[in-house]
Amino acid sequence: MVGLSVGEKYFIQGGINQNLRSDGRKRDTYRPIFVETGVIPQANGSARVRIGTTEVIASVKAELGRPSALHPDKGKVAIFVDCSPVAEPTFEGRGGEDLSTELSVALQHCLLGGKSGAGAGIDPSSLVVAEGKVCWDLYIDGLIVSSDGNLLDALGAAIKAALSNTGIPRVHVTAAASGDEQPEVDISDEEFLQFDTSEVPVIVTLTKVGRHYIVDATSEEESQMSSAISFSINRKGHICGLTKRGGSGIDPSVISDMISVAQHISEQLITKLESEISAAEAGEDEL
Amino acid sequence: MLHSKTFSKKTRGGKVQKLVREVYLRDDIYCGASFCKVCDTSAARFTASASTILVLDTNVVLNQIDLLENPAIEDVVVLSVVLQEVKNKNTAVYNRIRALCSNPARKFFVFSNEFHRDTYVQNMTGESPNDRNDRAIRVATRWYQSHLGDAVKVLLITNDRENKKKATEEGVSAETIESYVKSLGQPALLDLLAQPASEDIIMEEVEDLRPSKRKVVYPEHKPMSEITAGLTSGIYHQGKLRVNRYNPFEAYVGSESIGDEIVVYGRGNMNRAFDGDIVAVEILPQDQWREDESLSIADEDDDNEEVHLVPSSADDAPRTTNSVSGSASDTNPISGRPCGRVIGIIKRNWHSYCGSLEPMPMPAGSGGLVYALFVSKDRRIPKIRIQTRQLENLLDKRIIVAVDSWDRQSRYPSGHYVRSIGEIGDRDTETEVVLIENDIDARPFSAQVLACLPPLPWSVSEQDLVNPIRTDLRHLRVFSVDPPGCKDIDDALHCMMLPNGNFEVGVHIADVTNFVHPGTPLDDEATQRGTSVYLVERRIDMLPKPLTEDICSLRADVERLAFSVIWEMTPEAEIISTRYIKSVIKSCAALSYVEAQARMDDSRLMDPVTKDLRNMNTLAKTMRQRRIERGALTLASAEVKFQIDTETHDPLDIGMYQIREANQMVEEFMLAANVSVAEQILKHFPGCSLLRRHPTPTKDMLEPLLRTAASVGLNLDISSSKALADSLDHAVSDDPYFNKLIRIMATRCMTQAVYFCSGDLSPPEFHHYGLAAPLYTHFTSPIRRYADVIVHRLLAASLEIYKLPTIFRDRPQQTSIADNLNYRHRNAQMASRGSVELHTLIYFRKRPIDTEARIVKIRSNGFIVFVPKYGIEGPVYLTPRGEKGGGEWFVDEQQQKIKKMDGSLSYGILQAVKIHLEVVEPQPNRPKLQLTLL
Amino acid sequence: MEYVSPEGLRLDGRRPMEMRQLRAQIGAVAKADGSAVFEMGNTKVIAAVYGPREVQNRSQQIGDQALVRCEYSMANFSTGDRKRKPKGDRRSTEISLVIRQTMEACILTHLMPRSQIDIYVQVLQADGGTRSACINAATLALADAGIPMHDLVTSCSAGYLNSTPLLDLNYVEDSAGGPDITVGILPKLDKVTLLQMDAKLPVDIFENVMQLAIEGCKAIATYIGEVLLENTKQLEYRKGL
Repeated sequence: MVGLSVGEKYFIQGGINQNLRSDGRKRDTYRPIFVETGVIPQANGSARVRIGTTEVIASVKAELGRPSALHPDKGKVAIFVDCSPVAEPTFEGRGGEDLSTELSVALQHCLLGGKSGAGAGIDPSSLVVAEGKVCWDLYIDGLIVSSDGNLLDALGAAIKAALSNTGIPRVHVTAAASGDEQPEVDISDEEFLQFDTSEVPVIVTLTKVGRHYIVDATSEEESQMSSAISFSINRKGHICGLTKRGGSGIDPSVISDMISVAQHISEQLITKLESEISAAEAGEDEL
Repeated sequence: MLHSKTFSKKTRGGKVQKLVREVYLRDDIYCGASFCKVCDTSAARFTASASTILVLDTNVVLNQIDLLENPAIEDVVVLSVVLQEVKNKNTAVYNRIRALCSNPARKFFVFSNEFHRDTYVQNMTGESPNDRNDRAIRVATRWYQSHLGDAVKVLLITNDRENKKKATEEGVSAETIESYVKSLGQPALLDLLAQPASEDIIMEEVEDLRPSKRKVVYPEHKPMSEITAGLTSGIYHQGKLRVNRYNPFEAYVGSESIGDEIVVYGRGNMNRAFDGDIVAVEILPQDQWREDESLSIADEDDDNEEVHLVPSSADDAPRTTNSVSGSASDTNPISGRPCGRVIGIIKRNWHSYCGSLEPMPMPAGSGGLVYALFVSKDRRIPKIRIQTRQLENLLDKRIIVAVDSWDRQSRYPSGHYVRSIGEIGDRDTETEVVLIENDIDARPFSAQVLACLPPLPWSVSEQDLVNPIRTDLRHLRVFSVDPPGCKDIDDALHCMMLPNGNFEVGVHIADVTNFVHPGTPLDDEATQRGTSVYLVERRIDMLPKPLTEDICSLRADVERLAFSVIWEMTPEAEIISTRYIKSVIKSCAALSYVEAQARMDDSRLMDPVTKDLRNMNTLAKTMRQRRIERGALTLASAEVKFQIDTETHDPLDIGMYQIREANQMVEEFMLAANVSVAEQILKHFPGCSLLRRHPTPTKDMLEPLLRTAASVGLNLDISSSKALADSLDHAVSDDPYFNKLIRIMATRCMTQAVYFCSGDLSPPEFHHYGLAAPLYTHFTSPIRRYADVIVHRLLAASLEIYKLPTIFRDRPQQTSIADNLNYRHRNAQMASRGSVELHTLIYFRKRPIDTEARIVKIRSNGFIVFVPKYGIEGPVYLTPRGEKGGGEWFVDEQQQKIKKMDGSLSYGILQAVKIHLEVVEPQPNRPKLQLTLL
Repeated sequence: MEYVSPEGLRLDGRRPMEMRQLRAQIGAVAKADGSAVFEMGNTKVIAAVYGPREVQNRSQQIGDQALVRCEYSMANFSTGDRKRKPKGDRRSTEISLVIRQTMEACILTHLMPRSQIDIYVQVLQADGGTRSACINAATLALADAGIPMHDLVTSCSAGYLNSTPLLDLNYVEDSAGGPDITVGILPKLDKVTLLQMDAKLPVDIFENVMQLAIEGCKAIATYIGEVLLENTKQLEYRKGL
């Protein structure tokens, strides 16, 4: 909840119009991004991402499960987001649930691709241990620790960083069981499966305030938005997912314009993020 | 203090979980050398002059623990990583190495390398846990060398070739245990070395006297992964293998998965499993299920049935395989019980065994290395091949041998010599064998234990008398009735007529807990020992002698502390009220059963004590009658009594123990006291009382009794203990001994009563079948049974005299104490039996005798007889051994009779026969009793 | 199970009387009025304080003192096996209540009538002693928010395993099922404000274990004092004082 006076509102909108936002940024600049990986040692992978004063933690947990009957050759990936009341008193009790659901669904759209798993950042078929019998289920949990706008981009970045930090023990199926029985698996302590995360897209949200759209909106700016579109774009510049939020409609011609802007920004973001991630990984190794 | 944090990762099967544990690395872990200048030396262990310090690898601890226990091995570093590995692989060895480390006389020092800043080793990627631990051992060794400097040589002892090679490369001196022991220059130590499996090839050659034998003897064990898979899918069954005590070629695996026992016949099917091993079994196809298997492995020595003591309960009786079968024909009828074969061993139960070497000629050039076969006294254990350099010393000795390995090519497992006990046949040696076999600690009490005793001479002090918890009962006419010569008197009685015509009866029990306090070394020792052990010629005490024979013993004419149960009873022996008090008593007479009986019987005597005795006897008879009406069983056992020469300790005479009314009278009051105390403690501590239960025997267990009874035309009703008691009462015939025989047989069908913690079971399970009592415990013999000590503490706490010791809050520990008590109790009984068997043998060595015996079981080539007078049981062969049936005799299964073909002779169950009893020595130094038909 | 080796070392290398490593950081949540991260070994919690501010729900307003509210929540990934934890389950409601009562007792609520103070604690990692860590984090967050208090409450747990009193149980020791005492104290006033125990213990042993936990609390109090002092110095420095 951001309570703003008329003057403040005018100031924010005016700043955006003049390409000089209230914190001094241009419309297409991000706040400083800071990434830390391995923050939750109990998880298979984890990362904390701070964009300005927005802070989120993402963790990846892998559990052995059974592939669904429809897709016996694919593992399952699920994304949940939790809003901690620490970040915002209104999240107290069930207060954060709506936002949690909204963010979870948006992230699923942006990162997991279609129902068949096509176009997902993580290849679900790489999670299969024994077809139709055993697969890895990845549970991705996001937690909002401090919220100051642009949660989706932060979560997307945190998940990408957490995935690149993820190591899953290598599993061997020891005895092939017949029929419906679950086969026995042997877990190796030494070897880890790492994911190729270069295909995992980043999320760029363009928030429309007045006539212009901006990236990385703060919560004050978000309170003034008319609508926002989140693009998930991978390294190749392909759009992997797209969600529109906010009530008012957008002219279709503007959308294609927004796409090209988003593609351009995503390139910078991916480069920035990947250098941050590798710096964080290197830092973790030193510990 | 340095805190550092690292993560290790573990995964558990089924559900994969990442676990994170902190490790705090420290700089306050010291090296244990008293000459070290840097470390705190208060806990130092090594000798000041140590020139070599040994660091042991895990494999050395696991395999060479017998050698390590030898005092020649000194100044040893035991790394915590090694301890952890040993603990995971073999708890028994772990306990032994722990005992070495805590023994101040031995210079073994535990170095917690896993928490030391400089020796902690982090897992490298791609490194197996095993390699990582090996590396940790090398790092710790290197640390020791650099820490202690050049004055001391630090030597890594490892039999892992890879580890040794890497150590040498890294500049750490390393040797195998063999070469180290050789360097000590004590050849006898070499015998203690366990034989590594890699040397099997050489041993094979020695065994290989006949060329045909160089082949695979046993099928392969399946790999563990296959076994686990097989177990989950139900193809294989897991259970503990128990070998028939009386037929080592037959074993049973109790399997929960099929809810029945799987029978394993023959060494081939047992596939190198030992008694007590946890094994995986595969069920054979039904057409291969056999009743009896005498094929076993060819030409293994003949399975001799030996003369032994009559079993007193189902726990030590031979297992009943439908004894009469196979007969003369070799048709191997199909049995209803599943048969199986061992396909893998999940957990070994190897330990060391007592026995002797099989007689063999001295090879030329003796003194060198010789392979010999060891025969365990425990017949369930196969022969073990050992290597020795001192054959001539060992041939006539009882020795202890440990098992090392058993590979597929060897018929026998290989092991190594541990120590010798003494000459075969020598009474002291054989007694020690009995003690060792039953895991009985007969060592003198340690100084710490003795330090807990009150100073002698001890007498009741003024403080005891004024102590408010204690009641002065010295005015009462208390007396004790015990076996003659009893020195550890733990119970005494009194009986007084009250003005209202009722009786006050008191049972006074030695107040042992006044002297044995929880948590003291004395208490710990007693907890471990669990019970006193009564052998024929000696007693191994649970508590030190000053306590058992003096301070606690309720002797005549001295003031003693007691814990008393006092009832008011009507003349009909109905209990009106019960009091429990700590007291001071002064016994006026210590009677023997014979004396007490004589006094009661002598109508001229009218002294107060005799009158008390008569009153009590009347009450006891009423109580006994009532108990029997409730369904208590009058069981019988063939207990024998030796008369021992006081000088030579040789048995002079032997005979069955006679039970008099006086015995029954004392027993009755003890039972009543135990029951009263059980009620009291359970009322106050329903969750942590120590009780004793006797499980109701199952129909299967009583089956042999029913079969025997049926063959003599007797119909027993076993539907309840009451029904059984009644039908036992009605089992009479012209034969005066018939009833007792049937009772003895009934007794041996039942399991023994056991101690348990009341929180572990539900009240209906508390039932004591034999006594037909819903609750029972042991309270009356705290001098010789630890259970009674626990019960005394519970009772005192229920009266709010003392606080309940903290141990009672710890259920798992309490359960383990109860388990230990059962184990010790059973072992004590086995040891007593062993001692009696030994003395029987010594007795008959000089006195061959003709006596009467009863047939109890029919065999294909003879029968088993029971000799009532001496309480022994053994086979009588009608045909020479080895020849089965021989065509002259045939067995009538229906009537349980063995008949001569021409019908001239026949023997049936319970028939009396005359036999000749003598000791023969078929092999030198192997005397045994032999029974022959007259 | 052996929780203390004969050499006197616990499974993680600590001695029985030693605490895990403490770490604290003030000001982790930018928007909150006060916040702190507190770590005890692998247990890690964030606390944020909002307030004193206008009472959100008028019916809860108290005329002569401040309303203190608390919510405790656990992140999905905080424990070894991942579970979706519904908010407001019994355990978290109970812990919320315990924290609220403990903190309320030391806040000078009468100075802030008709206002509301919200304390939110979020467990990021649970490895035993979460309750204590939450209280310690909440204390730091309240101090960071500048809320007037009698004293800085600190909390620590102690248990009894293998007949040895152990300070600050970690998860493995905690799940051994032995007695576990959580104590909260006001160190300057030398008063116990929180005392909880599960399982049972004889009274004489209980006193020893509780005393050990109190010693632990005092050590934490010293540490928290240092952290706050350091933080204040930083603030002074930034303000150019």
